[in-house]
Amino acid sequence: MAWEPILWVIFLVMTMVLVASNMYQLVCLSDLEADYMNPYETSSRVNAVIVPEMVLHGVFCFVLFVTGHWIMFLITLPIGCYNMMLFMKRKHLIDVTEVFRSLNSEKKNRIAKLGFYVILFALVIIRLVLSVMNHIIDEDDAVHESAMF
Amino acid sequence: MGTENTSSANTPPRPVATPFAAPQSTPFSSSRPVAGPAASAFRPTPGLAPQTAVPLSSSGPVVGSEASGYRPMPPGRYSGPSVPPPPSSYGPTAGGPFPRFPTPQFPSTTQAPPRTLPVGQPVLPSHPAGQVSSMTASISPLPQIPSVPMGFPPQSISSVPSSVNAPPSSIESSFFSSRPNLQPWSPPMGPSYPAARGTFQPALPGYPGRQPNTESASFLGHQGGYEPPRAVSAPFVSHQGGYVPPPPLGAPQGFYPRGQMQPPGSAPPTGAVQGLIEDFSSLSFGSVPGSFDPGLDSKALPRPLEGDVEPSSFAEMYPMNCNARFLRLTTSAIPSSQSLVSRWHLPLGAVVCPLAEAPLGEEVPVVNFGTTGIIRCRRCRTYVNPYVTFTDGGRKWRCNICALLNDVSGDYFAHLDASGRRIDLDQRPELIKGSVEFIAPAEHMVRPPMPPVYVFLIDVSISAVRSGMLESSLTQPQMMVVSDLDDIFIPLPDDLLVNLSESRTVVDAFLESLPTMFQDNVNVESAFGPALKAAFMIVSQLGGKLLIFQNTLPSLGVGRLRLRGDDIRVYETDKEHVLRIPEDPFYKQMAADFTKYQIAVNVYAFSDKYTDIASLGTLAKYTGGQVYYYPSFHSAIQKEKLRHELTRDLTRETAWEAIMRVRCGKGVRFTSYHGNFMLRSTDLLALPAVDCDKAYAMQLCLEDTLLTTQTVYFQVALLYTSSSGERRFRVHTAAAPVVTELGEMYRQADTGAIMSLFSRLAIEKSLSYKLEEARNSVQQRIVKALREYRNLYAVQHRVGSRMIFPESLRFFILYGLALCKSAPIRGGYADVQLDERCVAGYTMMALPVKRLLKLLYPNFMRIDEYLLQISLQADEFENVCKRLPLTAESLDSRGLYIYDDGFRLVIWFGRMLSPDIAKNLLGEEFATDYSRVTLCDRDNDMSRKLMRILKKLTETDQSYYQLTHLVRQGEQPREGFFLLSNLVEDQAGGVNGYLEWILQIHRQIQQNA
Repeated sequence: MAWEPILWVIFLVMTMVLVASNMYQLVCLSDLEADYMNPYETSSRVNAVIVPEMVLHGVFCFVLFVTGHWIMFLITLPIGCYNMMLFMKRKHLIDVTEVFRSLNSEKKNRIAKLGFYVILFALVIIRLVLSVMNHIIDEDDAVHESAMF
Repeated sequence: MGTENTSSANTPPRPVATPFAAPQSTPFSSSRPVAGPAASAFRPTPGLAPQTAVPLSSSGPVVGSEASGYRPMPPGRYSGPSVPPPPSSYGPTAGGPFPRFPTPQFPSTTQAPPRTLPVGQPVLPSHPAGQVSSMTASISPLPQIPSVPMGFPPQSISSVPSSVNAPPSSIESSFFSSRPNLQPWSPPMGPSYPAARGTFQPALPGYPGRQPNTESASFLGHQGGYEPPRAVSAPFVSHQGGYVPPPPLGAPQGFYPRGQMQPPGSAPPTGAVQGLIEDFSSLSFGSVPGSFDPGLDSKALPRPLEGDVEPSSFAEMYPMNCNARFLRLTTSAIPSSQSLVSRWHLPLGAVVCPLAEAPLGEEVPVVNFGTTGIIRCRRCRTYVNPYVTFTDGGRKWRCNICALLNDVSGDYFAHLDASGRRIDLDQRPELIKGSVEFIAPAEHMVRPPMPPVYVFLIDVSISAVRSGMLESSLTQPQMMVVSDLDDIFIPLPDDLLVNLSESRTVVDAFLESLPTMFQDNVNVESAFGPALKAAFMIVSQLGGKLLIFQNTLPSLGVGRLRLRGDDIRVYETDKEHVLRIPEDPFYKQMAADFTKYQIAVNVYAFSDKYTDIASLGTLAKYTGGQVYYYPSFHSAIQKEKLRHELTRDLTRETAWEAIMRVRCGKGVRFTSYHGNFMLRSTDLLALPAVDCDKAYAMQLCLEDTLLTTQTVYFQVALLYTSSSGERRFRVHTAAAPVVTELGEMYRQADTGAIMSLFSRLAIEKSLSYKLEEARNSVQQRIVKALREYRNLYAVQHRVGSRMIFPESLRFFILYGLALCKSAPIRGGYADVQLDERCVAGYTMMALPVKRLLKLLYPNFMRIDEYLLQISLQADEFENVCKRLPLTAESLDSRGLYIYDDGFRLVIWFGRMLSPDIAKNLLGEEFATDYSRVTLCDRDNDMSRKLMRILKKLTETDQSYYQLTHLVRQGEQPREGFFLLSNLVEDQAGGVNGYLEWILQIHRQIQQNA
């Protein structure tokens, strides 16, 4: 079986989810800023996805580590640590009473993360393509080899 | 529109200027006013006029700019003597002027040269002919005569001394008369002051007309209107001529009026005194700046013994503005550019107290538009206000905030009279008053107005029973009892709330039974969180007010809190601030939910032990409520206080379900809000309940780098439900001029509003940083602001080692010190109990300006003499007892003093106070421990008098009950706690006293100056 390409497809889905989650939070915050949404709704929506996102990122990191993709692991590690730190300090959730005060920093934060995930997304796609190519080449080789004999 | 206003305001000075127009080009208008007066004095030298005229016009533009900006002139200008162009003209001046002007006025002229030199020259380099212009320039910036001599070119110097005191009295007088409407100006400077002010006015930077670009236009306008003044000007012109050769000379004349602080004929000004001539105030230090013998009498330091003084110039310029009790700007001059904002190191913003109590006869008028609907701008939703303009025969009106032309609806139409005013103006309070109330139509209601609901949540744990808290007589209660913790349910949702008038007896009976019911309670736990949730469920349908009476630390169920704050090691570390913020996010979440359902929470805390007010208070902070604190409550002592404050809480005029928004003109925006409320959107404050004791502060920023308008309008709109069930808008409108000068911003600064914002910022800072950093930031901002101010004037004024500050901010330094010594940010662990600190923080975040200032710098009076004088009546009390500086030096051991900070009264008995007085006041107990003695009417004159005083003091400030504490000199630790630690001017516990504080700030200002 072609484990490698399948693994990369899973990574791709994970990154897509992470990108989507960040986009969603960003949209919520912008809506809040533009007064399309009230702080209660915004914070409950944003807070609802924060922990799942962190968990997902953690899993992502872990799987990369386990499967021996060291470079990718190192790339995702800093954000994982950052998330961990926020969580330990109990500052990961948005504070509904002070949303407006932290709005700008929260937005910047999310834009940075979004950028990171988009780059990650690109990397994952490249690796996916590479692995598929490798797989095909390998199979071709195998075919050739079998044909040779 | 703005231009017109301002010009009219300034007109008085202008007349003088007009004359100028004829001979010269318009640009000079700004300078003229000054010149005018001087000119009259100088008539004798008419011949030279022609020459001057030309040069002047060329320099004109320069003048304008100079005048507009009071900024410190670039150092280069000082080089005056060396400047190429001037020298030629100058040469003659130095030697020449004297001989030339043998005329009687001569003395005055002579003086002029010396002084002017510094001033005039700056202009000269670029514009040789700049005398006139130089005058203007010099006028505004160089009030200080004293400084002038130092700067002189050598030649002129010699002449200076003699000329200095020549002060032409005539000039002064003429000056005065020419400007009848000088605005009232604070008096410190004595007679000369007004004159100085006068000069200033014309040059006011902010005024549209003055600015270089607009100048010509405005000037023309004036000319037309002000013909008469010309006569005055004529002399001026001629005089000018006379002075032409020595360009600098012209400037001096302008100066004169200023310089003449002293009555005419008085001796030449001596340096130190002269500093005061300025438009700024100054403190002189000894020859060694910063030394411990500063040569500064601590008694002479400025102190706000008159209490808070609202800035009046603002109100006069825009008489239709709402009263300062509703809205105060930190400076009534809005900076025109970002760079100005960045040089104004104080907060730029406003303090709003939308429901401030208005004295009888000044109530806010209520307007009902009925079916017409409220008149608002289509685009920016501004409410109609006195500053909108009607055009097109009354069919359209222009919004003053966004400048959109709106149609006037048929019902609201009225013709305009010849001057463009509506003929029905006097019947339309909304068009003449800055504050109005509109009855809101149904579309402004999310739901029908709800009846005011009060829910009492009472702690019945053992400590509460013991303290006697339950015996307090509640005045209008409704109640509920919660018994289950984990699975909270409400037995009978509809029946728990009772209508007070119908079931008064039930309520009374319940309240009476409350103490007995829990008489035998030995439960020390408090299930606060679950109770809170239950209360929330009960009132969430209606909204209302929740009053929480808490006596112990919440210890059961959700929202339980730990005992923290005892750990002294946390202090002075980065984790220190954590103690001041809520421990459990539950409280913030609850607060947000309460606000969402329009429930305001007031917390009454009674414990003598740690109750974690930081957490409980959060409920009040985000719901627009407030925290009352009765440390070690005992019903015998504090019953009255609780009763008064509870009654006030329940009966004061309260606005329910309120939202507030502050709109302001294009180009400016409110960015941050500070106080007890929750933000519903970026600029909408959600206030479940508001009353007259709550004020909100906000900060402004400029959206663009440059403001193009000449006036900025602010409109505070509060939409609320009154207790009578009517939905209303309360709208306050105010206008403020835009200025291009930093000096003008400082001049129009409002210490009260600045301190209000300052204290809120400092308290907020203490929630995320160490106390020390909060204090440092206060000090740093003071230093930065004053340094900037110093830079503004130092160059031209030879400030030397003096400390200068604007007249408007003369108490600012002291208040800054008081703020650093106020309970929320004072000292460290041991100085203030954590709970007390938090309560003070929550309280100060909501206090209106006046009360805040009183808390920062309390009233302190000696009353024994008053008590002894039998003939005096209580109403004369104010006159007899003057406020004293808050320092131990004011205390005389033979005296009896009252200290009143608006929250408590402390009566201090001197050790040597005549026993008669003590006996009369305290009866037989006068020798015992004062902590157990209560004051009451002892049936003698003196005692009655004292009680009247106390009554009077408490009546002046109703929002809190001032419990009276008696303290005897030397009775520690009570004396230290109640009084000595509050004497803000004293050095205590390693913290600076007033004098040291000033010296320290002065040193820091000079360090990087």
